[in-house]
Amino acid sequence: MSAARVSERQAPLLRIRAVARRHAYTLWRSPHRLFDVTVWPLVDTVLFGSIGIFFASQGGPGSGAQAAAGYLLAGIVLWHVVYQAQIAVATGFLEETWSRNLLSFMVTPLREIEFVAGVALFGLIKLVLGVGVVVLTALVFYSFDVTSLGLGLVPIAAVLLVAGWAVSLFVMGLVLRFGNGAEAFAWGIFFVVMPLSGVFYPLSALPVFLRPVSVLLPTTHAFAAGRALVDGRGMDWGALGLATATTVVVSAAALAFLVWMLRLFRRRGYITRYT
Amino acid sequence: MTHVLDARGLVKEYRRGRAVDHVDLAVREGERVALLGANGAGKTTTLLMCLGVVEPDAGTVVICGHRLPKGRSAAMTHVGFAAGYLPLPERLRVREYLRMYGQLYGLADPEALAAKGLERFGIGHLDVAMGTELSSGQKTLVGIVKATMHDPELLVLDEPTASLDPDVALRVRTGLARLCDEEGTALLVTSHNMLEVERIAERVVFLAGGRVVADGRPAEVAAGFGQGDLEEVFLHLAREREAREHQEGVHP
Repeated sequence: MSAARVSERQAPLLRIRAVARRHAYTLWRSPHRLFDVTVWPLVDTVLFGSIGIFFASQGGPGSGAQAAAGYLLAGIVLWHVVYQAQIAVATGFLEETWSRNLLSFMVTPLREIEFVAGVALFGLIKLVLGVGVVVLTALVFYSFDVTSLGLGLVPIAAVLLVAGWAVSLFVMGLVLRFGNGAEAFAWGIFFVVMPLSGVFYPLSALPVFLRPVSVLLPTTHAFAAGRALVDGRGMDWGALGLATATTVVVSAAALAFLVWMLRLFRRRGYITRYT
Repeated sequence: MTHVLDARGLVKEYRRGRAVDHVDLAVREGERVALLGANGAGKTTTLLMCLGVVEPDAGTVVICGHRLPKGRSAAMTHVGFAAGYLPLPERLRVREYLRMYGQLYGLADPEALAAKGLERFGIGHLDVAMGTELSSGQKTLVGIVKATMHDPELLVLDEPTASLDPDVALRVRTGLARLCDEEGTALLVTSHNMLEVERIAERVVFLAGGRVVADGRPAEVAAGFGQGDLEEVFLHLAREREAREHQEGVHP
């Protein structure tokens, strides 16, 4: 081999960058894909922000209705952290199945973890765009400044980011196993998780039989910590600790599931679905 | 001469039956080998196992000293792969596509090598074209440039000239021959075009029913079956399979 190559240490970073750049081109040249990071966040913020303002107008200062407005607006900001993190990675993988590029990638030195890292890296840009739209809309339309909640938002957002990535690994595993028929999970899975996570309300508002399921989700505890900030109670370290611990468990489970599905994918020759 | 590919005892069973049955396939440095057989003979499954994309039920695959699946990433730095049936991603220009793959192969200057590869196959003018703007022949050529720009020791091509007109097919063959001569690249190719195989390959491996039924120089293989050329061997094996399936009641 005479072609000059980068060092073995640099090669993984170069591959991650190549994947991220590939998805940047795809987004740039498919404006309809900007829908997820512009229109949805805008629509969500207007919908939940307006509901919040309506409720707030029904109660006096310090009332539960006033708190609900804050819950809704802070909830939708944090919701888009977890949603955008998940959808960016999941659709990044789906893009390779739609363009029948999986086989070509699988016969290069690209490792699975590098592919996910590349897609997640580019996904961070989409996440900043999507969350930026929510934050700006909340500020301009409803005078809700999310930064007023303080630095406590940072660890909560970090937990939600990792939780979103974990769910995307699970979705990728489903698509590997069941083919593109399973891609509905990429968009649909969080609409199951959303009500169970108490994005806009405390756990006590859920039907009793759903609460044990809700407790298992990292998002439930992350949003509980977010509501504590909205209430002015400061950081709820217990909720944040639970959110972190459950995120670690869910991430490990999702990774194990993906590895299992990838093994099955190779063993059963499912690549022929994409050639 | 050492092997760039050494696959031994490959077995693959799917629900519909055994697709590959104890296949040995070795390719030496600089050797040009064709893997032949009718549809369903097990060629693609064998190739995919050799590339680490499909896990064999039994058997081992070693590429340039790297045993799969553990050494897959390192092994793939020595391998180029293109298939006539694989499209180019729609939203990339040719040079962006080639740069991406160059980076995946760890190339320090992928742009220069992409330009050299495009010139080798006489398509330098396509570097700014979008994947969607290319004809099927041009897509195939770009796919081969992608597979060869990192100077692989083993080039694997699955049906590279399927659906190409004779002019483009000739350009592919000429470009490949020059590459193999200049760089010493070994070639493993599947094709249904027996005439083309006789021009490209110095050794052919015939598969039928998932097993290797012949392995040798094209003329020797044809003589071994009492046939004049590879096309007649192919037809002979196809007729044998038809007769066997008829006997087993697969076809009435």
